[in-house]
Amino acid sequence: MTRVLGPWETFLLAVLVLVYAANAWISPQFLTVGNQINLFQLSIEKIIIALVMAFVIINAEIDLSVGSMMGLSACAFATLVEAGTPAALACALCLGIGPAGGFLNGWFVARLGLPSLVVTLATLIGFRGLARILLEDRSIGGFPDWFAALGQRGLIGPVPLGLLSFLVLFALLYVVLEKGGFGRKTYVIGVSRDVAEFAGLDTARHKILIFMASGLVASYAGLLFAARVGAVRGDVGQGFELDIITMALLGGVSIFGGSGTLTGVGLAILIVLSLRNGMSLMNVTGHIQTGVVGLLLIASVLVPRLGARLARRAPA
Amino acid sequence: MAAPVLALRDVSKSFGATRALSGMTLELWPGEVHAVVGENGAGKSTMIKIMTGVHAPSTGGVEVDGRPVTLSGPREARAKGVSAIYQEPMVFPDLDVAENIFISATDLGLVQRRGLLRERARELIARIGMSLDPDRVASGLTLAEQQAVEIARALSQDVRVLIMDEPTASLSAHEAGELRRIARGLAAEGVAVVYISHRLEEIFEVAHRVTVIRDGSHISTRPIAEVTPERMIAEMVGREVGNYFRKDESHATPEVLLSVRGLGVEDAFEGVSFDIHRGEVLCLAGLIGARRTDVALSLFGIRPATAGRVLWKGQEVRIGSPRAAMALGIAYVSEDRRKLGLALPLSIRSNVTLATLGKVLTRWGLMRERAERAVTQGYRERLNIRMADADTPVGKLSGGNQQKVMLAKWLETNPQLLIFDEPTRGIDVGAKAEVHDLIRQFVRQGGAALVISSDLPEVLALGDRILVMREGRQMGVIPHEAATQEGVMRLATGQDRDAA
Repeated sequence: MTRVLGPWETFLLAVLVLVYAANAWISPQFLTVGNQINLFQLSIEKIIIALVMAFVIINAEIDLSVGSMMGLSACAFATLVEAGTPAALACALCLGIGPAGGFLNGWFVARLGLPSLVVTLATLIGFRGLARILLEDRSIGGFPDWFAALGQRGLIGPVPLGLLSFLVLFALLYVVLEKGGFGRKTYVIGVSRDVAEFAGLDTARHKILIFMASGLVASYAGLLFAARVGAVRGDVGQGFELDIITMALLGGVSIFGGSGTLTGVGLAILIVLSLRNGMSLMNVTGHIQTGVVGLLLIASVLVPRLGARLARRAPA
Repeated sequence: MAAPVLALRDVSKSFGATRALSGMTLELWPGEVHAVVGENGAGKSTMIKIMTGVHAPSTGGVEVDGRPVTLSGPREARAKGVSAIYQEPMVFPDLDVAENIFISATDLGLVQRRGLLRERARELIARIGMSLDPDRVASGLTLAEQQAVEIARALSQDVRVLIMDEPTASLSAHEAGELRRIARGLAAEGVAVVYISHRLEEIFEVAHRVTVIRDGSHISTRPIAEVTPERMIAEMVGREVGNYFRKDESHATPEVLLSVRGLGVEDAFEGVSFDIHRGEVLCLAGLIGARRTDVALSLFGIRPATAGRVLWKGQEVRIGSPRAAMALGIAYVSEDRRKLGLALPLSIRSNVTLATLGKVLTRWGLMRERAERAVTQGYRERLNIRMADADTPVGKLSGGNQQKVMLAKWLETNPQLLIFDEPTRGIDVGAKAEVHDLIRQFVRQGGAALVISSDLPEVLALGDRILVMREGRQMGVIPHEAATQEGVMRLATGQDRDAA
């Protein structure tokens, strides 16, 4: 927690430099400002949620419902706007759905002691069902211009709201996790909920807060999606949870909880995005891109173990 | 032909630096119930594990029918006719009785013939004089019935030595009687039964011979008729005063800090009443299963009391959570450092400030790292914690130093009552003495300590008064002046009950 870069972060940084160098060498467009912003924008919803997913997993839980929550918020927004609600009001209302859903997840997990894998799998289905009920198989668009502009145009210079949100959220969550008391509790509870409970921490409250934050950010991501794409369907965000969890794990967050850093997750996000972007520039299809990310994830689990084994074999 | 069915010859066993058994000798003859008694930690479990092939002896040997053998594991031990059953039976809850009995049978062919299986199960159950439907699913059986299943399982493999480790600890009086009858019955058939129990009265009822072990060594083996409970207890605790010396007199003040009246937790303990004064060390003594930790957990709000009253400085209080306990000034130094006490992968300083995070946070909830380091450094000096630096994961420290980090965490909460659960288990002698000094120092400065310990010399050295429990009941309170190891053991084993 004190060193700037742990061994895993150093490794990720090396990989990232390699990917950037290769991309820049292969494609002259890669390093242009437009492409760099585009690289973030295409996956902006996922990477924003991945930052909070790091908290969830470090806390030794999982939230599979984020993609569905994203879809539900986007669909609720579209339905409200279509019914004549002012878009600003609709945004505010929809930002409330996430924390409410997150509270539901957290309550079942933390107060009733049900496994989060099961609870959030159930709400993954439930939230998605609600989204489908709202929109059925229609697509709703035609949002106000100012809303679409937030999703598509630069807000500060060429930097759009989405990327700006990501950067601000990263800075904020970095401080909370690595420098704050909340982050410390997140690690302790992730290592052992019993130890935390015996030390007098309110672990249930803490877990519920994290699930609520996860819901809030998922809702926000849903609105960003609506603004960026300009139209919403019932399947918005479907399957996103797996990419999101992949980024967190690749970043060195232990699936068993208790360890991982936001720096690592940030680096992993950059690696995944630049790999995909580079392959796109080389006209590699999306399926192969997904396969490469999968290989990377396996490597991320394997490499530290190989390293440990080699270290053991070396003479002391 | 006269050779014991199983014998340990001068067996020693060490785990790292700890010597669990030294020069243990034991002969088991067909047809005897052989009781083995000793304090907690005397080496009984290690001995069982050597007889069942779980551990290999470091030196010395195991003999079957007078011939030296090497038991490579439980499977080979079973093949030689040595089986063990434990306090917690190992049955597969979703299988039925017959399937459980023949769980490791290899001669049944690929397709189990249910009819045959059931028939043989019925025979085995009848042999131990029980009636149990072979088709019943194991999850619905009582503990006693599950043990019967385990015994039948052992019989199905032609058992010659059956080790029963605390088999009656969780049974009702009637069920325990049944089990003792089964043990005698098996002996009459020529099985050698090893019977391990803390209940001395049942040993006199069931055993033919008794072996006393202490500190990993064989003390005596005698026919039951030549033994008295007093002599057995004297041999279990030993004659020597122990390694600890009382360093100072009692500092107990007249001021009562905590009063407990008729405290109970359902299914754990009942009727516990005591006062703790400022400056006093009250020790909770007892054997495994006495439910002493449950008393501590209820006072710390983990499993709140379901009966009785708790008075803190004369005011009736309800302690419903650890936070409530900490708010009063109660801290609990858990026995289980790894599971309940420390976040092992995290740094020493994170662990020291774990229970008092608020003290090292700014108004904005950020960590004041410098303050945290200062706090940690303070305890490093005060408690003599040997560590490289405050960022080392606490899991890398030795047991004694981990114990001190845990203690630092609780001292930082500024407690008035410290509850210690086995504070020196698994730490070396030097660290032990240091922990004792810290406890005495804490009460000298006006605190009070409740110490749970299974280490009798420790109890005698530390306790101003000693409360002895047995199977969830308070057996008596002995003042330090009147306390002897034998006296404590008599209460703990139910040979005595004083009126205090």
